[in-house]
Amino acid sequence: MIPAGIRAPFSNPTTSLATALVVTGLVATAPEAHAQTAAAVATAQAPTGLWLTTPFPEFSARAGKDVSVPLSLANRGLPPQRVELGVEGLPDGWKWEIDGGGKPVTAAIAGSDNTVGLTLKLTPKAGDVGKALNFAVSGKAGTEALNLPMEMTLAKTEPAKLTLEPKLPALRGTAKSAFDFQVDIKNEGQEDSTVNLLSKAPSGFQVTFKQGYGSQELTSLPLKAGESKTLSVSVQPPENAEAGQYPVGVAASGENVSADTKLLLDITGRPSVALSGPEGRLSGDATAGQERTFTFTLSNSGAAPARDLKLSASPPSGWKVTFNPEKVDEIAPGGTSSVGVSMTPSTQAIAGDYMVSVRANGDGASDSANFRVTVRTSTLWGVTGLGVIGASALMLAFAVTRYGRR
Amino acid sequence: MTSQREGSPFAGLSTIALKEAADHMNSIRIHLVMLLVLLTAIGSVYGAIGQIKATVSEDQFLFLRLFTTAQQPLPSFVSFLGFLVPLVAIALGFDAINGEYSRRTLSRILSQPIYRDALLTGKFLGGLLVIAICLLDLWLLVTGLGILVLGLPPSGEEIARGLAFLFASFVYSGVWLAVALAFSTIVKSPATSALCALTAWLLFTVFWPMLAPLIAGAVAPIDPLDPMTAVHQIDIQQALARISPNTLYGEATLALLNPATRSLGLLFTDQLSGAMMGAPLPFSLSVALIWPQLAGMIAALLVLFTIAYVSFQRQEIRA
Repeated sequence: MIPAGIRAPFSNPTTSLATALVVTGLVATAPEAHAQTAAAVATAQAPTGLWLTTPFPEFSARAGKDVSVPLSLANRGLPPQRVELGVEGLPDGWKWEIDGGGKPVTAAIAGSDNTVGLTLKLTPKAGDVGKALNFAVSGKAGTEALNLPMEMTLAKTEPAKLTLEPKLPALRGTAKSAFDFQVDIKNEGQEDSTVNLLSKAPSGFQVTFKQGYGSQELTSLPLKAGESKTLSVSVQPPENAEAGQYPVGVAASGENVSADTKLLLDITGRPSVALSGPEGRLSGDATAGQERTFTFTLSNSGAAPARDLKLSASPPSGWKVTFNPEKVDEIAPGGTSSVGVSMTPSTQAIAGDYMVSVRANGDGASDSANFRVTVRTSTLWGVTGLGVIGASALMLAFAVTRYGRR
Repeated sequence: MTSQREGSPFAGLSTIALKEAADHMNSIRIHLVMLLVLLTAIGSVYGAIGQIKATVSEDQFLFLRLFTTAQQPLPSFVSFLGFLVPLVAIALGFDAINGEYSRRTLSRILSQPIYRDALLTGKFLGGLLVIAICLLDLWLLVTGLGILVLGLPPSGEEIARGLAFLFASFVYSGVWLAVALAFSTIVKSPATSALCALTAWLLFTVFWPMLAPLIAGAVAPIDPLDPMTAVHQIDIQQALARISPNTLYGEATLALLNPATRSLGLLFTDQLSGAMMGAPLPFSLSVALIWPQLAGMIAALLVLFTIAYVSFQRQEIRA
């Protein structure tokens, strides 16, 4: 708040109280003869002179960490002034540098009614924490010297800290659904850091990290001091995961900090029943009017047992379809069960393909299969045809023996 | 009545059969008939190819379509064959025996050490050999034309069905050859026997399909209150129609060349429920389907030959 500065003595308005308040820390020197004549003007006008000021004369810094302090060289109502810059009172071995316009400078010229922005860069060495260190930035402008006293306190280095916080730590779904957790990661330390993202999940579970709603998968994440980001952690359970609760650990580790959190997947199982024909085929053949048994296989690829599976069929009219057994009580997840399906095509069935729809209906799971039956007609007609041919051949043979001539 | 024969009754059979075949091959009569068959066959197949190229985009049995596709005004190859094969058979057999009479060569032949059995069988087999050669030629011609123009080789099933069709045509022509042979033994004049055979041919190919419903209507009239009488009438009509070898041949070729054919008789809708229409029948099932027709034709051939045989054996030939 209070500007600390050095004012040139030739523009000293000693009679003005207001001006004296503004220029606290002034170095009083003997006023020149014309000062009194300028006094009346000074009350109405802005103060004239050359100042070296800073907005932060007292500050704290951490050992080994560069600190920058802005300085400004202001000239009010004077011709351009050349000022040689320097720093005094720093302990041995401390590095300092005054930068202007992006490069190190040792002198600056402040034009008339102009301000030159400068930056003081310091690299504090390790020392007593909490102890104030006094030094001054000095400027030599021709005959008079400008002095800006400053005070720096070595501050304690705050330990780096990371936090991971899931918004919804537990999700529920089936083994086929995607579990997307939103996790907030925050760097609560004072240093920028790059954190690696790690996960620990049951085998077969795939964990991927994405940032926010981005599409790129991440393995590490840069975090500035105090910055917070939202990670999207999606967990894909294996399709054959059984029903149950699965913990997934998520961790972030920085240079020497780490944080972790636990996510919970609650997988609810469903039975999934598939009906397949003999040897995986969905076709077979049968003779009209004769029973033929096909072995169907019921398999449960779901994560919960399938119960009370009743078997039914929609056969063509005149057909008889029976099941052995007619009902399957339970199939464990991943288990199979064989069902004998006996089909008797109608005696009137014509040769060729018929479609028989076989269905298994259970608690919350069902499947159907269209089974194609190639009906073979009875070979009775073939035998009859042979008989007719045989009879006529016999007749010929009889004619030959009866009428054969010598 | 009979006494023991000496030697084989079939001695000289192959000589007669080959001589008969050679005579046929050189006769102008068979040249003319075959020219007629060849021209119509090429015409109908050419029409079929044009039709197939224009309409059929994809077909599992493209080669079989060659035989069955008709393009107006030409009928299909199969219907041509059904119509003309009897004509070839009749042309080959109508004067087999009575021609020998009229040329007065029969007693000369039989004075050789040849039984009558061998003469009749040899003449029949000679005619069959000529027909078999002609049919095989025609079949190869059509298939070759198909490969050339369609640019595809026929599949195994198409070849099997084509060969079965060839066999059915062979049996069918054998029936008509047996008819002609029977007339040539029964009737003394070659002109009359030719007319008789042609009458039978016209009766069965043209008039029988018209007569069968008439006879069925007379035998089993329909009672409007009993739908089963209609079924009964259709059954009788079909049985009557199947007396004609032409019907049997038509059904056999239909099932062989159109694999989607699943039944040749009357069908009820409950037989069709759940059936996959249009799905081709396996070859073995198609053969099983037409086996009664084929067996009927083979039996008819044997019966007709027996009639010719008995008639020939009982004839006085020295006249």
